[in-house]
Amino acid sequence: MMHAHTNEGGPVASSSTGGGSGSASTEGKIRCIFLGEFDTTAGFKISCQVPENYISKEVFDAINVYIIPKPPLQRCNLTVNVMDVKIVGYPVGIQDQQKYTRNEFIFNLCFVCDSRSRSVQYEPVVKKLSEYLIMMEEESCFLSREDDKLRLQHIFETVLRDLNERKVATIVEGDNTIYLKIVMHKPDPPPVKDHMVPLLLANLRDTPLENWDLTTQQILPYINGINHVARIAAEADVETDLVKSCIQNLVYYGVVQLLPILKYSNVYMTQNLKHLIQSAALSNACRKYVALQPDKLLPSVQRIFQFYASMTHGVTLRAICQRLCPQHHNIDERKMVIFGLQHKFIRCIHKYPVFTGSVPSARQKMYTGLISFDEICCKTGLSPYTIEKDIEKDTNVTVIWK
Amino acid sequence: MEVNPLAVILVYYDSKGDRLLYRYPYQPLGQTLKLEEPREELNNKKRNPFAVAHTDDLLQTANSQSQSQNHHHQQQQQQQQQGQAQPVQGQGQGQLKGFADHVLSTLFAVKPQLCHQKFELKLNDVRFVSHPTMISVLPGTGTGTGSGSTAAASQTLAAAANSNTTSSSSNTVALGKKQQMVINIVFALHAQASYSIVKCYHELSKRLGLALKFEEQRSGYLTEQLAQMARTHDEQQQEQQPLERILELIAERCSLAQALKSICNDLCTTGLLSTTLNQNLTLTFCLPAKAHQLHKKGSMVDPETIDRCLRALKPYHGMLLLVDFAELLDCVPPTGARMLWQLVDAYNPLISLQSMASNADLSIEHVYKLVSHLVYWAKATIIYPLCETNVYVIAPDAPLHTRSHLVEKFSARFAGLSLFEVICDFSLPTSIGHLTTPLQQPARQGILAQMVLWMLQHHLLMQLHTYVQFMPSDADDEFGDSASCAQASNLTEEEHDQDEDEEEEEEEQQQHQQQPDEDVDQLAHGGGSMLSMSSQPLPVPRNAQRRGLAEDQYSLASDNIVVQPSSSHKSNFSMTASLSTDNCDSLDSIEDEQKLKELLQVFSDADRAAIRRIPASTNVDDLSLLVKLYQMGYFKSEHHLEEIMYFENLRRSQLLQLLDKFRDVLIIYETEDPAIASMYNNK
Repeated sequence: MMHAHTNEGGPVASSSTGGGSGSASTEGKIRCIFLGEFDTTAGFKISCQVPENYISKEVFDAINVYIIPKPPLQRCNLTVNVMDVKIVGYPVGIQDQQKYTRNEFIFNLCFVCDSRSRSVQYEPVVKKLSEYLIMMEEESCFLSREDDKLRLQHIFETVLRDLNERKVATIVEGDNTIYLKIVMHKPDPPPVKDHMVPLLLANLRDTPLENWDLTTQQILPYINGINHVARIAAEADVETDLVKSCIQNLVYYGVVQLLPILKYSNVYMTQNLKHLIQSAALSNACRKYVALQPDKLLPSVQRIFQFYASMTHGVTLRAICQRLCPQHHNIDERKMVIFGLQHKFIRCIHKYPVFTGSVPSARQKMYTGLISFDEICCKTGLSPYTIEKDIEKDTNVTVIWK
Repeated sequence: MEVNPLAVILVYYDSKGDRLLYRYPYQPLGQTLKLEEPREELNNKKRNPFAVAHTDDLLQTANSQSQSQNHHHQQQQQQQQQGQAQPVQGQGQGQLKGFADHVLSTLFAVKPQLCHQKFELKLNDVRFVSHPTMISVLPGTGTGTGSGSTAAASQTLAAAANSNTTSSSSNTVALGKKQQMVINIVFALHAQASYSIVKCYHELSKRLGLALKFEEQRSGYLTEQLAQMARTHDEQQQEQQPLERILELIAERCSLAQALKSICNDLCTTGLLSTTLNQNLTLTFCLPAKAHQLHKKGSMVDPETIDRCLRALKPYHGMLLLVDFAELLDCVPPTGARMLWQLVDAYNPLISLQSMASNADLSIEHVYKLVSHLVYWAKATIIYPLCETNVYVIAPDAPLHTRSHLVEKFSARFAGLSLFEVICDFSLPTSIGHLTTPLQQPARQGILAQMVLWMLQHHLLMQLHTYVQFMPSDADDEFGDSASCAQASNLTEEEHDQDEDEEEEEEEQQQHQQQPDEDVDQLAHGGGSMLSMSSQPLPVPRNAQRRGLAEDQYSLASDNIVVQPSSSHKSNFSMTASLSTDNCDSLDSIEDEQKLKELLQVFSDADRAAIRRIPASTNVDDLSLLVKLYQMGYFKSEHHLEEIMYFENLRRSQLLQLLDKFRDVLIIYETEDPAIASMYNNK
């Protein structure tokens, strides 16, 4: 399962985090790669740097203890963020009494980023590249021989360019082939539940099916922004837990977004609706997306805005559709809801039954205020109507909308 | 909790060398004490499937750990209480043998070039942050000023030196020339700590450095404390005491170590700290990410969010205190308390900051500052002053469930009432005015207001505001729409479109039939441009339908206003008005005509046409108010009604009437105030 996603994950991850992570810290590019060394005669020095002189002598002098630290800190991921540079390193010492004058060769391969950017994702890469260099050094003194710095520089140039552009780099150097890839760290995705509806984000539709893993291949045709997880499992004939973990995986890689199930009895609420008008790109995208028949004249922003603006507490989607007749204006109300949820113009107001009596019996145990109506329906397999009746009769149950 | 510090470390460095003098908690970082048991437990748990790819990656291990912490919350919490540094220990795994003190000491004894700026170092999955401060030791601190304690200290130092303690002791016996020393108060954090949390800790380290610098220059406090710490280290090391014992002793003997210990503890418990250094200088600090959790568990409010909320502060906003008056004072140094008391005396959640300022005899800027301070320190929150017309609804992230502690808290506060019974009234947007009737006792309204305030304090309720967007759904568009549809069908003749198009054609025919009837309207347009002439008036059935719905929506949007005159009445009225202007040739009407034209100049052609179709556009007063508000940018979904009322000095009914008259070009909807909503966790 992992492989298919690591192939796809890269570009998606970068595009989604680039917009969403906010101002505080951003996924920064690698600005520079250098090799710090402890030379037996010259002391601390940078023996190879791409681009030249990115780290000035003054800066290096101030921080060299962090580039070549004491032996206990060797083979640790050590990142230092001072003087407006962030340096990700992996200090290494190779002991060999024959080869080296002081019985040890100490070096550190470092990536340099902007001081405000995130750099965790580079740590495994730095470590892996260091391991390659250690291997090459042990085999052929690749680093400690003076004349090979040009080849090293070539490696650095390729790594810097390819990782920044494609997040993947493959370099052939002598007998070794170096494979590097940046994998993003993201917070854990929320657990997927039966009643949730996965929505495939548009830019992945054209990925050939065979690039996905087997489970994903099987369920992908059923992911349409309308079917909920339990239904996908049933239709694709895949076990529900398998579907859930597969979808959770897709959510982690930003391929899929989870939405509440779409019902005409749902109530939605607007938030930040002004973004829809303020961004022309967004409103045009919206017009295209919600059109019932794309070949006809697209619905106007006014119509769409009016539709969204009429969403408020206490007004069901059904009522809005009856009032505004979206289909007469070439608007597909289902797509409209999906677009609104996806871009967070609207959010679904969920119903939560709460049991206020003393001892809950059977189904009342589920009425804790934490489990929404949709979830209860999915869990019990009963229709919303049955449960609604049931709750209405029960004086010990209060319903909260939020 | 990634907010809590793992440790605080004090490192000292001068020409003679560097030394780690104190750190808290005392267990060595990375050393495994009671770890065997929990680790095994963790390994047995089902691991996060996403961690599989990077079994060697420390950050992921920590992630999976936190994941399992979520699953097994209570057990883990107990563990965390047992050992503060547990998460660091957790990453032992043979990768990191623990940070020996002398290794840390060399890392944090920074070169002079790195002083007075942010220092951040990440070692595997621990992030260290600090602000190294260089302090010049005053010549003659030890001898000249002759304060008893320092003299004593230097004496004992000399004694220590005699007893051949060769370590790089930190003595700074005055040598007559100016010396420099670097002190570095380092906070160890989880690597996952966000940028803004790191920034807060950096700020704290900076302030501590500054305070110590001041105290050093005032009375040589730092020299004395450092000397005492170094001496304790040397003495006890000779007696081969374990390191933990030494650090304990230091905390007993040195007030600085004591202060650092209490700072670390406070940061872990409340996130608010107020420490007095050398019984003289009070340092107050707030870690918002932690402090705001006291009122709302699990919320992560970073300073940037608070700043965003506070930047949007307006005079019409109100303030709601979250704590008792007594608790307010621990967030201000005693010197600043006078103004705060002035404000607190005038405090009332029912009035705006503006009124509070005038009641307290403070300038509004001062009130802003005080309120911002209180909000930052999680002592208050921003609301719109409580009144009958405010519309509230349950907050989307309100922790309302049967096991919530708020349920008991509520019934304790309001004699036996059930929180759920009360709050379910707010499942639909409701105002206090709506929930009370004049028939009830007035006391009931008071209690209700109290309950609403309580629920606002606990972020259970959220206020909704009405926003206005200028958006003429112009006839051009509509007509063009149907015309193009008709065209398309003519060209392609698709079967399934047929019905729809036929309908539209019928409508078009209707339009043509109705044109003569609309002459009055056309006249009312005056000498319209070609554009407005060409724009067809709307077919009547559709128009009626739209009007009906706009009204429907409108009545929803403003539950709380007086009954509006029915639309037919008004349009009749304006119709006659427009007729009269047409018929009457008095000077007034010509002037009016001129004025209307001028007013309409601000709109684009298409918008102007749409406005002219509205009967009320012939009324100079109405139109000029509309134009004024339009020009001020109030109809861009950026300002809610209350704001417009406040800044334009309008009454609610005035504004609502205007909005009603021009509802064909305005879209009115309810949503939360983004500035205040940002303080809620909208997921």
